[in-house]
Amino acid sequence: MSFINTLIPSLNGSAAEVETRPVRRPRYEITETTDGYSITVSLPGVSKDGLQVTDEGGELRITGTPAFKLPESGVLYRETSDAAFELVLDHANTIVPEKTVAELQDGVLRVTLSKVESVKPRKIAVT
Amino acid sequence: MRYIQFTQPNGRVTAPAARFGGRLGVAGFDHELDWLFGTALSGFSGAGRGGQFPIDLYQDKNNTYVRAELPGVTRDAISVEFVDGSLAIEASRKEKTGDNETTVSYSRQVSIQDEVQADKVSAVYENGILTVTLPRREEEKPKKISVSVN
Repeated sequence: MSFINTLIPSLNGSAAEVETRPVRRPRYEITETTDGYSITVSLPGVSKDGLQVTDEGGELRITGTPAFKLPESGVLYRETSDAAFELVLDHANTIVPEKTVAELQDGVLRVTLSKVESVKPRKIAVT
Repeated sequence: MRYIQFTQPNGRVTAPAARFGGRLGVAGFDHELDWLFGTALSGFSGAGRGGQFPIDLYQDKNNTYVRAELPGVTRDAISVEFVDGSLAIEASRKEKTGDNETTVSYSRQVSIQDEVQADKVSAVYENGILTVTLPRREEEKPKKISVSVN
């Protein structure tokens, strides 16, 4: 049975650890420059403590959990959601993770990514 | 979100004006339609390219609160006005694309049904969320008067 458990992790008791909470994709914008990319992500209600930016396996993952939840009683009308934000961007290792800079201000995250030298445009001198 | 339609006897299809329980007063039907589609497509994940922005309305024992998602707006450009039971929120955000800088404006009106102490309305902007606190007027409590009988 332990062999099957390794094949199908959901049969294992630890399956409860798998996150099933609802997430939503935030509004975002990417602009490319010659040296890198600049990403602006709209994360209303997310403070620095609730924000996680990770870079692993050629993927940049941004997860933000809103700090405030509406009370269960007394809500007259609502248009927003308590669900966490999640944005996964594939960069296929064309950036230098050490040079990534992230800044959060007023619910807007700005991430600056630097391209690796090999993908930067190069001018070839003609001799 | 509910979108209710009903057919008039003359065959014209109209939408009731007092949608959402008539709690929210939105200026003009066109405006309301824009908002309906705009926010439906954005998945309520924050204010987009100007115009309206998602809000919440809730209350506790003493206050009514209006919470608005306005990420990245200029703090000085936020204006909150409460006149005759109507709360007007205006804000703007500067956006840079290359060398051009454009200003994106937002505005929304919310009608508040409760009696509010207009002079005690306060607002806080944090993490891209504007929270307006509207203290409700205390209803007149029955007073006990003791009369001494001689």
